[in-house]
Amino acid sequence: MAALLLGLRLRQLGRTLARSPWAIVTLVVAVLGALGALGVVAALLLVLRVAAPAAGPDAVVVLGSALVVGWAISGVLVSADDALAPERFALLPVPAARLLPGVLLSGAVGVGGIATLLALLTTLIGWSADVAPLVAAAALVPLQLLTCLLAARALAAALARQLAKRSGRDLTLVIGSVLAISAGILVPAVAEGVRALGAAESMLHAVAEVLAWTPIGAAWGVPLALVAGDLLAAGARLLIALATAALLALVWGRDFRARLTAPIATGGGGRVRSGGWIDRILPATPVGAIAARGVRYRIRDPRHLVNAIGVALMPVLILGMQLVIGGRIEVELDAEAGVGLGAFAAVGPMLVPVLGAIVLMSVAQLDAAYDSSALAVHVLAGVTGTQDRAGRALCMAVLFAPVLVGASVLSTAVSGRWDLLPASLGATLGTAGIILGVGGAISPWLPGQTPAPEASPFGSGSSGGAQALLGALIMVAAIVTVGAPALGTAIAAAWLPWLGWVSLAVGVLVGSIAVWLGVRIGGRALDRRWPELLAAVSREP
Amino acid sequence: MPDTVLALRGLTKRFGQQVAVDGVSLDVPAGSMLGLLGPNGAGKTTTLSMATGLLRPDAGTAFIHGVDVWADPAAAKARMGVLPDGVRMFDRLTGAELLRYHGLLRGMPEADVVSRAGELLEALGLADARSTLVIDYSAGMRKKIGLACALIHAPRLLLLDEPFEAVDPVSGETIRQILRGFVASGGTVVLSSHVMELVESLCDRVAIIAAGRVLAAGTLDEVRQGQPLQRRFLDLVGTHALGTESLSWLRSS
Repeated sequence: MAALLLGLRLRQLGRTLARSPWAIVTLVVAVLGALGALGVVAALLLVLRVAAPAAGPDAVVVLGSALVVGWAISGVLVSADDALAPERFALLPVPAARLLPGVLLSGAVGVGGIATLLALLTTLIGWSADVAPLVAAAALVPLQLLTCLLAARALAAALARQLAKRSGRDLTLVIGSVLAISAGILVPAVAEGVRALGAAESMLHAVAEVLAWTPIGAAWGVPLALVAGDLLAAGARLLIALATAALLALVWGRDFRARLTAPIATGGGGRVRSGGWIDRILPATPVGAIAARGVRYRIRDPRHLVNAIGVALMPVLILGMQLVIGGRIEVELDAEAGVGLGAFAAVGPMLVPVLGAIVLMSVAQLDAAYDSSALAVHVLAGVTGTQDRAGRALCMAVLFAPVLVGASVLSTAVSGRWDLLPASLGATLGTAGIILGVGGAISPWLPGQTPAPEASPFGSGSSGGAQALLGALIMVAAIVTVGAPALGTAIAAAWLPWLGWVSLAVGVLVGSIAVWLGVRIGGRALDRRWPELLAAVSREP
Repeated sequence: MPDTVLALRGLTKRFGQQVAVDGVSLDVPAGSMLGLLGPNGAGKTTTLSMATGLLRPDAGTAFIHGVDVWADPAAAKARMGVLPDGVRMFDRLTGAELLRYHGLLRGMPEADVVSRAGELLEALGLADARSTLVIDYSAGMRKKIGLACALIHAPRLLLLDEPFEAVDPVSGETIRQILRGFVASGGTVVLSSHVMELVESLCDRVAIIAAGRVLAAGTLDEVRQGQPLQRRFLDLVGTHALGTESLSWLRSS
């Protein structure tokens, strides 16, 4: 049975690849990304092994605990499109016990699972200073992988009933997205904070010692205890690790068994607020209707909501990080080089909100792809390409212009240099305009790929695929060339503040022209390519 | 012979090696209701997609009131209302919002959209669900809201792919009344279906498609040739006779 399920999972993956050459490119990019992350882990552990062999085991315990937590969170985030959900087996006369091993192992099939296994093997570097911990760690690799897999399944199972309701599901996805977006920035911020407190090594050791006794880190705590030669602690932690795996298996197995006979029906959210103000501020024309629909979708569709949160959150997170780390760098610069103004504080107001605009890249290009085959309405109603593009651009302007202006004002306020506000606005609005324009113009040829409607925003297709990567390259190229005057004068305004007004004028002008051109070029392309675009976005991952 | 409202001319579509639609030509006169019949995979949906501008044909074209769908799509699309099958809807809108969206996309004045949307929701029994997201509608309710979307701009030609699928008998009767009234006032309907009795009772013209070709087309009586439609359909399409030995294990257990 396990072999049958694994084969099923492999065939599903194979079919996805066979459907489109872009899928293969996407897989290659994902594999390269995973290899890159593995390379970083391996390099880090090698450096520690040579420079500070004692810190290696501590780092591995923290890393392992993070892996378990990561698996648990991602398990919840992608549970909406579980290809091997218990409900799918509900009609088969197969007891849960025979299904569970195969379902569990199939979770390891994929880039994430294989990368985790390789990462676990890589961590053996950290133990290689002594023989006993190395042997113990090697023997525990299967248990560690099992803990990761079970953590993903068990947490998703425990939350399954809440996730079945749309409101619960959407809320989980939003919280998860905030965590995911924050993680990349919070981790270095925390690490920096620890470093700032001094004595990083003893801190790391203390954290590792605590984690080693917890269920998430116990499987790595066993060899850590052996490093210290503490056999009693090693035994106790082994018991904790085994009990954890058993408990997770129990939670998941109970839920799986229950859902075989009482399937969870995904339910709706009932009535919604009409949001009549959206219709009132936007004209009752095809362009206005498309914009209004777009605004409603940003709020109601978690896939869009996650992107909108990203635009708003990115500048805030960078600002927060600047307050934690930037302040310190500034002080050091002041003390050592005598720079009157911290470099980050000087250009921060210009660059921080631009990062928010950068998040728009995935939104502008992929907007039609998010619609999937519902885009057929536009084709059937004879919506012109220009109307379609203009409606989408209007939606983005209504929604994101206030967010980006807010980010500009906020980051200027943090820096305390109000004379830089025009520069900040010029750089941000210019960049956003170029992204919207270029994204709208290229989307008829490169619509990209998105998660299917109702699927998890973090499930298959969430990377946007190879077309999105190509689109991002084109947009970056446009920003550094066409956007250079606005960005250049904005940064120069740090020293010559009057240039900020030049930046604002140039940014608004270039941004507006870019959007106008994007609507025209993209619209004309759409009029010729409606059926082809519809076919491309109807193909769901 | 009255005006031809919909004329298909040699529509052909290949998917890879497979020919899905193979030179389909068909005339639908004004004021008629045509039932498009065919087994699964016959090419009904593909044909309708090419006739409505959703799928570019490899060869051939379609004319709506003499306007070429693929030469002047805007003028052709303005004249028809379409209920597509197997296509998603913007289902994170409520029923009322979705109707408004369709109306405004068609360039209708807002006041007309609002009043017609209210009437359509009322007529199709969706008034209670007007503030519910379409994603939470049942399959039959989705068909009904899709039909309402196809009707809102008062087209003179309706192309409906499986309009009665999953619709309960009460709503089905409402839809029949709407369609009969529409045709009586000079409108034209093309609908696809698998239910022979429904087509026999509702349509005055029939076209039978199999393996991407038109096997028979004309008035109901011309196609039936004195037999029940079911019998005639099976004769044309060819039944798949079961041998005495096939599935014998199913009878022995």
